[in-house]
Amino acid sequence: MSYQETSSRRKQKSETLAEICSVRVDKTLFGVPIHHILEIVGAARPRPVPLAPAYVGGLVHYRGDVLTTVSLRHLLDLPPNSAKQDILVLESAGGCFGLLVDSVGEVLTVSSVDYEPNPSILDERRMTLLAGAYKLKDNLLVMLDPERLDPMRLGGVQAA
Amino acid sequence: MDDLTREFLIESQEGLDRMERCLTDLEERPQDTALLAEIFRSVHTIKGTTGFLGFKRLEKLAHSGESLLGLLRDQKLTANTTVINALLQLLDGLRAILKTIEAEGNESDGDDDVLIGWLEELQSPTRTEQPVSAKTGTPTVHETAQSKLTPPMPVAPAAPTSEAPALQPEDTRSAAVPAASPADLAKARAPAQTAAESTLRVDVALLNRMMNLVGELVLTRNQVLQATAADPNLTMLSRRLDMVTADLREAVMKARLQPVSNVFSKMPRLVRDLSQALGRNVRLDMEGQETELDKSLLEAIKDPLTHAVRNALDHGIEPPAARQAAGKVPEGSLKLRAAQEGSHVIIEISDDGAGIAVEKIRSKALERGLITAERAGQLSERELLQLVFLPGFSTAAQITNVSGRGVGMDVVRTNVEKIGGKVEIESRMGEGTTLRLRIPLTLAIIPALIVRSLSQSFALPQGALSELVHIPPDQTATAIEWLEGAPLYRLRGGLLPLVFLDHLLMPDRECKLAADRDNFIAVLDADGRRFGLVVDSLADPEEIVVKPLSAVLKEIGLYAGATVLGNADLALILDPSSIATRVGVDLSSRDDEAEKAVENGSENETAGMRYLLVEAAGRHAAVPLSDVLRIEQLPFSRIEYVASRPVLNFEGQLLPVEDAGGILAAAEADPEAQIVVVVCREGERHVGIAVSHVLDVASGASLFEAGSRARTEGVTLLKKRVTGVVNLGAVPPLSAAEAAPQQWPEVAEALS
Repeated sequence: MSYQETSSRRKQKSETLAEICSVRVDKTLFGVPIHHILEIVGAARPRPVPLAPAYVGGLVHYRGDVLTTVSLRHLLDLPPNSAKQDILVLESAGGCFGLLVDSVGEVLTVSSVDYEPNPSILDERRMTLLAGAYKLKDNLLVMLDPERLDPMRLGGVQAA
Repeated sequence: MDDLTREFLIESQEGLDRMERCLTDLEERPQDTALLAEIFRSVHTIKGTTGFLGFKRLEKLAHSGESLLGLLRDQKLTANTTVINALLQLLDGLRAILKTIEAEGNESDGDDDVLIGWLEELQSPTRTEQPVSAKTGTPTVHETAQSKLTPPMPVAPAAPTSEAPALQPEDTRSAAVPAASPADLAKARAPAQTAAESTLRVDVALLNRMMNLVGELVLTRNQVLQATAADPNLTMLSRRLDMVTADLREAVMKARLQPVSNVFSKMPRLVRDLSQALGRNVRLDMEGQETELDKSLLEAIKDPLTHAVRNALDHGIEPPAARQAAGKVPEGSLKLRAAQEGSHVIIEISDDGAGIAVEKIRSKALERGLITAERAGQLSERELLQLVFLPGFSTAAQITNVSGRGVGMDVVRTNVEKIGGKVEIESRMGEGTTLRLRIPLTLAIIPALIVRSLSQSFALPQGALSELVHIPPDQTATAIEWLEGAPLYRLRGGLLPLVFLDHLLMPDRECKLAADRDNFIAVLDADGRRFGLVVDSLADPEEIVVKPLSAVLKEIGLYAGATVLGNADLALILDPSSIATRVGVDLSSRDDEAEKAVENGSENETAGMRYLLVEAAGRHAAVPLSDVLRIEQLPFSRIEYVASRPVLNFEGQLLPVEDAGGILAAAEADPEAQIVVVVCREGERHVGIAVSHVLDVASGASLFEAGSRARTEGVTLLKKRVTGVVNLGAVPPLSAAEAAPQQWPEVAEALS
């Protein structure tokens, strides 16, 4: 009986599907909900900004504006990638910014049934950056929330 | 809010702006029926529409005003000061309600009975025979700072005019309501919009977007031009694209321009209210109202201008009695003048008041601890005047509500500098003060010099750049002098503090000139703080499109924005005044030029144009500094001849070299001889002028022909010597080289 109960609850939850753009940084597969993505700019080389906070990946020119980019590699304490990187142009409450990733993959449709929140064993920093994960068949799709990656917010996090 | 209401708000605000202008005019010409009709129409339109939209409170107030205006229009009543005061209160009352409607969608509860009662009282003939003094018992309606939180307006009887509460002590009804700050006041005024029939309202956001898109197009064009340069079939097409893009950019920029009258038109009312409150008698003259300025800049100068006018009335123009005692006419004069000068708009606020007492500034600055006693003794008059721009400086003996809170001049300067402008002040004891705001035509596009450091490009705004110094590799070891770790450069006898851009941006870098290549020092002047910025190399000046930076990068404080260069590279725009602040360059370390200027005795130095003083074959000549792009020192062998005309292959472009002084002819014998060529801009093209030496940069004063007031052309007074100005326009273009004679008389004249 208890099994049936959980199963029916599952069914209710499973009604929401989400489209997630997958990106790869180092060996991890990350996901960003596609409705947050304005555009994907391939193979860009951002212009570095001297004296900027370390997580700022530099500036890129995007449709007449100059966008500040955030280096996901740096946020995850990975060594910098000297190759050209892809940029996701994201929209957050504070405006637009770019997220530097190693490469952009395909768009996946995932079900909320497979969603798990951040595990409690994550370190504090990752806890604030990541937004849970979806269980895929072979691996995990670690979710990113543009609001949490906004350079201005990161500035606050770093200062604290 | 529905469209109908929004439309109503915009229209009413325009109507009220018109009414305000008419009211101040009406005071001078109380019999002018056309003015009265115009005012009547504004109020009548509001009343008509408002009843239709159901704003009862607004309707009631407009109605009582309309009745009073009706009497005026029918000549049953004369528009004396009392009546005009009442009408101005009516105007403020209507505005306040409109503001509430705009903010909250409804007019909220309020009580306008006092104002209405007053308006009605004026209509009864018996009352008007005994005019109420303007200063007593004036019920006033004004939006104060708090009314943004509490329902505005209803406090009408208790609220003193925020402009003059200190001067209405006899008004027993006025409660202590803190006055709105000037900024709030400025905000409370609706933006002026003059709409003729042939115009269209366009959202500013749309214009901004168009500007962005045009910027994008300019970039794409630059890339297309580079890509198609080799293909003759595409050259014509890409040239056309080039021209259309340039025209489009200009058109979009023009669309953002508005006449300064939009801001100036607020001033008659301000001057009227203030002179009543302060007991001054002031005539306001305005000139150049049609001068146009970018909308965002116009917004930005509103506050500084208001501050400046307040200052002029409070500290500048004396009360009539004091003026008479000083032998002046009792009526003070305040002049507002706007004019375009090259890529800048100059706005002058001049009064014929008491002027600024420099000794008072000196003692005040000492008292406030803004300068040291030692420094105070050294400062020249001109430098002392600059001190009024320091934060927290105010010479007002007592703090009035009009000015004297120690904010004012520094706010003027900060606001103007924020938009890339400059403020200059001139004052003569007993004769008056002139404040000059120098505003760039547009914020979006500024001329800049591209410099390189750390293998990256940076843009330096031309406005702050005074000159460039080239240090060849063989001089790197000796060029810089050190004073206990502070790098200094000896520039024409003075010591210039140096900032190494690479060290500034990467603090672990050593402050050192590279010995294996050229080094450059950009001499910058950030509001009187002069310093040299050491960079690796220079690229050409470019007109750059300024893009804002995200907040996190603005926080660094050194960058004023970013830009995309012609080669599609991104460059950060350096902010000279933040750099000066960061490294601690202050006024006291400005070089000796100010002192030198005083020594030379030409007090009008700031007003004159700046010239590059050159020597050619023993004669002095002047080249307008604004036209000078570069000073090149090169061996004579670099000079080539096209049809016996000397030319220089200058960065891939052919540059005609003018040799009126015979420098080239003299150097011909020795191909290794070093010659100096001043590269100048003349309209669209560049020309070079061969000279023996570059002597100095100095300000020139205009000369007047004896017996006439006509300015003499072609000569200037430079360092007390009459010096010929090189006429660049007289250098014939290269295409005409074959036909042109060997000597060009006009240039030769200037050089000899």
